Amino acid sequence: MEPEASGVGRGALLGGAILALALAAAVFAPALAPHDPRLPSGPPLLPPNPAHPLGTNDVGQDILSEWLWGARSSLYVAVAVALLSTLLSWTVGLAAGLGRSLEGPLMALTDLLLALPSVPLYLLVVALAGASQQNVVLTLGLLSWPAFARIVRAQVIALRGQPYVEAARALGASTLHVARVHVLPSTLGLLPAKLVLTVRYALFAEATLAFLGLGDPAAKSWGTMLGWAFNDPLLFGRGVWLWWVAPPALAIVLVVLATTWLATALESAQEHRAGRAAGPAETADQPEPARAEGVGGTLARPRAGEAGWQ
Amino acid sequence: MARLTLRYALLAAAIVVLNFTLPRLLPGDPLDADAPQGLNAAASTLTAEARAQLRAYYHLDRPLAGQFLLYLEDLARGDLGWSISKSAPVSQLIGERLPWTLALLLTSLLVAGSGGALLGLLGAWRGGRVDQAVVTLASSLAAIPEFLMAMALLLTLSVGLGWFPLQGGRTVFAPTAEGPFGVLRALADVTWHLALPALTLVLATTTAFVLLARGAVRAVLAEPYLTTARAKGLPERWVALRHAAPNALLPVLTLFGVRVGQVLGGAIVVERVFSVPGLGLFTFEAIRARDYPVLQAVFLLGSLGVLLANLALEIIYRRLEPRHGA
Repeated sequence: MEPEASGVGRGALLGGAILALALAAAVFAPALAPHDPRLPSGPPLLPPNPAHPLGTNDVGQDILSEWLWGARSSLYVAVAVALLSTLLSWTVGLAAGLGRSLEGPLMALTDLLLALPSVPLYLLVVALAGASQQNVVLTLGLLSWPAFARIVRAQVIALRGQPYVEAARALGASTLHVARVHVLPSTLGLLPAKLVLTVRYALFAEATLAFLGLGDPAAKSWGTMLGWAFNDPLLFGRGVWLWWVAPPALAIVLVVLATTWLATALESAQEHRAGRAAGPAETADQPEPARAEGVGGTLARPRAGEAGWQ
Repeated sequence: MARLTLRYALLAAAIVVLNFTLPRLLPGDPLDADAPQGLNAAASTLTAEARAQLRAYYHLDRPLAGQFLLYLEDLARGDLGWSISKSAPVSQLIGERLPWTLALLLTSLLVAGSGGALLGLLGAWRGGRVDQAVVTLASSLAAIPEFLMAMALLLTLSVGLGWFPLQGGRTVFAPTAEGPFGVLRALADVTWHLALPALTLVLATTTAFVLLARGAVRAVLAEPYLTTARAKGLPERWVALRHAAPNALLPVLTLFGVRVGQVLGGAIVVERVFSVPGLGLFTFEAIRARDYPVLQAVFLLGSLGVLLANLALEIIYRRLEPRHGA
């Protein structure tokens, strides 16, 4: 059923508010954090008290400070990966859609990357390159562009047959000019969806890598906190998890939910602008992507509100 | 069909080549104890001679082309290298652990696929409140990463309620499985241990199936053939299951291929949380020990396995849907 307009608006508002809060925590972490998260500031495994509102972890670091700095680390990775991945998606999509000679090799690379299971690949690459924050960003950013590169390319192919593009070509415009002036602007409608989806995806991926022990120990994220906490064999035997595990876990889930709501709102706004008769839900889950090779054949798949490793 | 096989053969070849080149292209040397990442626990315990021996064992002292040929030769013999941390052949170690992961993968994919598709059908068919509830449930599940889902289930159902074991794949010190009842008991024990890991994977995977089946069924809701079926006086449930549902079957089938890789990743995480003695826990231990041959083998076998699953699904798909392909 078509979501009510006010429902979408509320979702966007709540999502935006949660994201704004998380971003504020990330930006002002140095000012807000009561202690240095890297140094022990009390006895280990202290329950919450005035000096340590969320208690301390197994080596006596203040958990609230860790959490605030963790927001910075998690969100930095998410945003950096989203930017890098988006840039690559568009570059590859445009190049493959417009450059005849590039299409074959670029699409072969896209197919290959889409065929690889992401977690084993990321684990291998990050373990080999070293688990620094920079390497995690590069790995996730350089390997997560294929799904949208395909979507951009599909749109470019639809556009390149348009009379105005053919006219520009007939007038002797270079491929680069056509790409920049005539094709790129028409593909930008996909941009918000890609950015938001990749932020969410990177947040998941970073947290998972960190949980598996491939987090940067110098820049602890929410995922790293959870991974470290889970190494404590008695974690769930006491009440510790309530202030040690719940805050980063809730933060991850809330930020992911917030980006989802925001993405849904952006999409329906876009569809209203495009003046389509169908409701947002109508176009979102068409069986279209179900092409046999179809790892993300169309926009519909990444839109379908899934966990989305890709 | 020939093109299809060629495509997959090329992808498989690319994976084999990638598995060889990745470690050589990336910065860092697993045998260098003073590497900047400073986490090479396994390497730092080695003496210079042992290091040279390992280097020779991996043929790292030879030219690249020679290394590649030797790598292919080893692969052809099923030799995946020697685990640095466990001091055993990687292929043997993986063989011991693979059944656990396969069992987990297959059950959770099947349950997530069929359950999700039924839920999507229900939502699309009933519409209104039911549909909204289905969509909300599905998208909320998608917001929880696998390891958090696993921890939540562990905390509530194992630690809190005590319904399921805390960890492991079977009861330690259980009487040996002998006779028909012993085997059954052992099987029940394993099922009991794998229930929560599998449930985690099902919950984390099902969203895509729900939304896809729902979309496919909604797309045919207004089709005249459904009206015809109803006009014939067929009961509503029959129309839904026998006339509308088959349309959702094909897209759902292809989604299995797309999801296999993701569920494999999920299994790695979930096995670590529940200490299931499968490939995932092995991978986690390998990460901690920076046991690169193991990580490489997991990547290689995982990628080839996912590729094979996709090929099989694509062949089935073409059988069921003759319009596709050509």
